[in-house]
Amino acid sequence: MSGNAELRRLVMFQAVLLVVLMLALSNAPVGDAIWLNVPPTGTKCVSEEIQSNVVVLSDYVVVSDDHGHVPTISAKVTSPYGNNLHHKENVTHGQFAFTTQEAGNYLACFWTDSHTRGAGEVSVNIEWKTGIAAKDWESVARKEKIEGVELELRKLEGAVEAIHENLLYLRDREAEMRTTSENTNARVAWFSIMSLGICIVVSGSQIWYLKRYFQKKKLI
Amino acid sequence: MERKWRKISGLIGLLLLNFMNNVSSLSLTITKVECVYEIVRSEGDIVSGNFVVVDHHIFWSSDHPGIDFSITSPGGDILHNLKGTSGDKFSFKAPRSGLYQFCFHNPLSTPETIALYIHIGHIPNEHNLAKNEHVDPINVKIAELREALEAVTTEQKYLKARDAVHRRTNESTKKRVIGYTVGEYILLTIASVLQVVYIRRLFSKSVGYNRI
Repeated sequence: MSGNAELRRLVMFQAVLLVVLMLALSNAPVGDAIWLNVPPTGTKCVSEEIQSNVVVLSDYVVVSDDHGHVPTISAKVTSPYGNNLHHKENVTHGQFAFTTQEAGNYLACFWTDSHTRGAGEVSVNIEWKTGIAAKDWESVARKEKIEGVELELRKLEGAVEAIHENLLYLRDREAEMRTTSENTNARVAWFSIMSLGICIVVSGSQIWYLKRYFQKKKLI
Repeated sequence: MERKWRKISGLIGLLLLNFMNNVSSLSLTITKVECVYEIVRSEGDIVSGNFVVVDHHIFWSSDHPGIDFSITSPGGDILHNLKGTSGDKFSFKAPRSGLYQFCFHNPLSTPETIALYIHIGHIPNEHNLAKNEHVDPINVKIAELREALEAVTTEQKYLKARDAVHRRTNESTKKRVIGYTVGEYILLTIASVLQVVYIRRLFSKSVGYNRI
């Protein structure tokens, strides 16, 4: 009797697993993404300030309207020093992944191609992941043979480490800014005193020069 | 048997949590109106985020009226409306699933750059699942923990963007102090030299006979 109940529960769990798997797979291509409208003329650019040695993963898909004809776009990604990291023309979807070499502003630009122009604004679904969000947890799970709750806790540990790193970065930036502020503060004081000094020196030399001039001209 | 159940529910939890994590952080340049859209998968998700206007291309700080920001739900209601801000945080519970619209409006013609961060958090609960499933409490706890960590991350992104703005202001102040002070010295010297030249001319020989 307990065996029957056991069997039933097992079957139920398998059904649930199947349903959840289907749900997961059906949602897989969309992921976490934002939609942007690319105007028919001109480019739409998004950028992010990223530190060096960070993994960036991105995926963009053109969302097709009811027209049946899917418009194509071009994409270009540049590093802060101007290097071209990804460039594709006339595509409906694409992806790029890179590890940042330098810290700075990374720019991803999209524009509609000339032959699909006139179709109005094109909606693009952009998935942009940096740092810890771009980490491939499946390979970690496979390599270390962990799964389920342990994997989730490992992900949380990764998130905590990322938070710690960010905090250290913010603290360093704040220290730099404090140095700059104190520098500027000292400079304001010095320059104001110097300004007073220059004023006195200049007016003193004016008076001295004019006195000498008038004495030479025998006016005094 | 117990272990097998735990493993299976853990796997389900893993799958459920896998695609329920939604973050996007980007900087946009706004000339007039820019809208960003995000899909909220299930009703009751907490949408939180912040935005900071990164560089005001202005001379005096009192000039700029700020950026207008609004959030529109898929039903068309405006959930959040801010006028004339230079950055703010927002957080709301999504009344329904669908496409949410985050719009910025720039009243002036100079383009502004905005750093935006949106996070959509989902905690699995009993309502969304079918009748014969139940949510393992440990997965709920893990989801809550993850949401708490994401809240910290959201706050950090905000601090990072504000720090960038502050840094720009500081560097601008440094440049202005040096530039304007040196300019002031040079102008002062030129003004006094011109004064002396003018007085010399007043007393020069050609007009010397018409004593002033």
